[in-house]
Amino acid sequence: MERPRPLQWLAQFWADLKRSTDAGILGVARFLGLLYGPIDRSLPIDQALRKALRHRLPSYVGWRHAFGGITYLLFMALVVTGVLLAFYYRPSPQEAYPSIQFIVSEVPMGWLVRDLHVWSANLIVIALLAHMARVFFAAAYKPPRETNWLIGLLLLFVVLVFGGTGYLLPWDQWSYWTVTEVLDTIDGVPVIGALADLLRGDVIVSGATLGRFFALHVIILPWIAFALILFHFNLTRKHGIAPPQGRERGEGVGVPFFPIHLLRSFTVGTLVLAVTITAAALFPRPIGDPADAFQLPDRLVSSWVVVDVSLALIRYLGTWGFVLFTALGIALALLPLFDRRPEYRLRRRPLALILGLLFFGGYLVAWAAGRQLTSAPPNLETRQETVNPSSEPAPQPQEERSEERTSEFQEGEL
Amino acid sequence: MKLGAFRLILTALALPASVSTAAPASDGAAALDQQQAQRIDPQYSCIVCHTDMRRAFLEGVHSERGIRCHDCHGGDPRAFEVAAAHADPSFVGTPDKIQIVELCSSCHSDPNQMRQYGLTVGQLAEFQTSRHGQLLLRDRNFDAPTCTDCHNAHMILPPNDARSNVYPTNIVITCARCHENAALMGKYGLQIDQVKNYRESAHGVALFQSSNFAAPTCIDCHGSHAALPPAVLQIANVCGHCHVLVRRAFYAGPHGKAALDGRLPGCTACHSNHGTERVLPEGIADTCVNCHGADTPAVAHGEEVERLAIHATEELGSAAAAIDELVVAGHRTSDVQFRYQTARTSYLQIGQAQHSLDLTALEDLSREVASISRDIRGVAEVAAEHRWEHKLILLPVWFLTLSVTVLAWFRIRSSRREGSS
Repeated sequence: MERPRPLQWLAQFWADLKRSTDAGILGVARFLGLLYGPIDRSLPIDQALRKALRHRLPSYVGWRHAFGGITYLLFMALVVTGVLLAFYYRPSPQEAYPSIQFIVSEVPMGWLVRDLHVWSANLIVIALLAHMARVFFAAAYKPPRETNWLIGLLLLFVVLVFGGTGYLLPWDQWSYWTVTEVLDTIDGVPVIGALADLLRGDVIVSGATLGRFFALHVIILPWIAFALILFHFNLTRKHGIAPPQGRERGEGVGVPFFPIHLLRSFTVGTLVLAVTITAAALFPRPIGDPADAFQLPDRLVSSWVVVDVSLALIRYLGTWGFVLFTALGIALALLPLFDRRPEYRLRRRPLALILGLLFFGGYLVAWAAGRQLTSAPPNLETRQETVNPSSEPAPQPQEERSEERTSEFQEGEL
Repeated sequence: MKLGAFRLILTALALPASVSTAAPASDGAAALDQQQAQRIDPQYSCIVCHTDMRRAFLEGVHSERGIRCHDCHGGDPRAFEVAAAHADPSFVGTPDKIQIVELCSSCHSDPNQMRQYGLTVGQLAEFQTSRHGQLLLRDRNFDAPTCTDCHNAHMILPPNDARSNVYPTNIVITCARCHENAALMGKYGLQIDQVKNYRESAHGVALFQSSNFAAPTCIDCHGSHAALPPAVLQIANVCGHCHVLVRRAFYAGPHGKAALDGRLPGCTACHSNHGTERVLPEGIADTCVNCHGADTPAVAHGEEVERLAIHATEELGSAAAAIDELVVAGHRTSDVQFRYQTARTSYLQIGQAQHSLDLTALEDLSREVASISRDIRGVAEVAAEHRWEHKLILLPVWFLTLSVTVLAWFRIRSSRREGSS
């Protein structure tokens, strides 16, 4: 019985594909994290696929190794939701805020896409730091994996800049004044201060800043991130997963990739997405009043982990506290260049332990402290006072419009 | 010897500079001083001694109009000896307070001279009607202020110059210079708490804290040159000059009639004078008690007004809270904001209409506020319900997630068994 023509064509196409020895598609699948292990380029695609699926992961690979994958999954979630948001978002001071309102309240499932983006941005920082901590304390950054550690730190930096640039985009009072405060702080640091001016593109945070941040967020950074991820994954493939002290690299002897590891990964991925969706549905990011360069908000609401940490450092330790903590981060980055002994046990690495505890512990403490901060930037209040020198007490930091609404009727002539 | 000659030359060079620049703040200020210095002939001898006065005078408007020291003080400015300069028969020296009034009004009461500057000429006539003018000109009481006490003697600035004593934010301090002087005011049985009360009043807060120059200062109620406290019968008109709608409502009601008969000191009966005390909605009935006594029909009426005002306040407050909720949730609020403004207009009308004590009008307005507030809350409630429905997505999500987890667990377990067997 002769098959219908479209099916005939499909069968021919599949046969051609099978005959092809090019494993390019498998390469893509591997890049996307769907496949693990070496891919044989000299085999037809179906055999290569089967071979890759039969690959066995080392037996010491456990749940704690999932954080890297979770980070990547969240990154992909950010890419997908970000692209969807870009359909409706308008990067201009006049339209940014209304476009967010439109996304949240009018676009079908827009609220979900937007809050998934916000929550993925938070969870990716946590997953990334957990991944980093695992690599750090397990000394997986030691040769030959030191390049990958540096690339990982670059990826951390890229994620932080991603979040920082994305934070301004809602263009509400909270994001506006938080970005103003952080840029003002960076302004106070010698040399790097010039970078803040470059980013701001104006004397205050304005449409010029919004344009720069948007371009960085959706055009420049994604390319850098993808290139770094590609490099990061390829090096992971090349060197394999770091074995514990005293054990050889155990590729090809442990758990089979298919189906056990694939199912495990799939389960973890599903759980992470479910948690993200739950957070998005239960705790949507609140929206402040539209950004106003002439009015300080009476409170700040932070919606990103890194903002909490940065504000805590800036408010409690000042500009230099912020700089010192960043320097600590850079010290962590440079550690592999000096710490080249093949010693993996934590007890024998006191300096690494102290640095790591300082950084990761400091991050947690700063986060907890930052959650308590809800007041408007104090240094901006004083700046406003110096602008209006008078014998009279300086005007109160202007209340938020919502406050005005509540107080207006008290000030009526009743 | 050589050094002495050099010093002489230096002094000679520095003299004109030292006369013209006391402490130049910058090159710009020095240039300005130089420019001003050219306005007065360096041969003009008064300035050799009276340097301070000259500096002050050059800042003021009169130096720009070609007026010179001797125009007010007489004397001979061409004579370089003190004795000769002051010996001229026209010499006045420091004029006394009454002479000052005469001197100023010699120009400022002349329409032909004032026309070119767009200035009015009624100041002297007004001053004569004021308490200050009566004390000074009629009783020759030199406690009373004269022109220069408020406008300065030499540095006379227009009222729109922020350095002027009569600039809106300075005028209160200018009046306070005498009216906060307990010894001086005690002689005339006047209190000294006006300025303190004014600063705390709505007017003072608007002026000093919000820099709202539409807010009245002392002179807006008392007059400037014709300064007098308003008479009892005039009070409602003075306040009503700005609070037009309140005045209309006030005269339409029983209190307005009482005020016209002189039985009630107008607005100040409830609001005090300089403190402009605000009567909040919950304090309305208590205010009635002050005059009417407790448990009187008037107080019962006041309680009804209070109830309506509080009701409207609460309604407007809940509408504002509903809008806040909508904003935070990311809803577009232009429509409800517009409706809120309508409610607020009615609410402000309650503030005006209650001065007429007309319960029907107040009920109508209060109902209007409540009705719009209900609409706005309705919008917020519908939005909140929609947001609640968002959470329902968790049911399928977790159903699928748990199913996947359980199935994967079974699959992994069976694969392991196969592997081990």
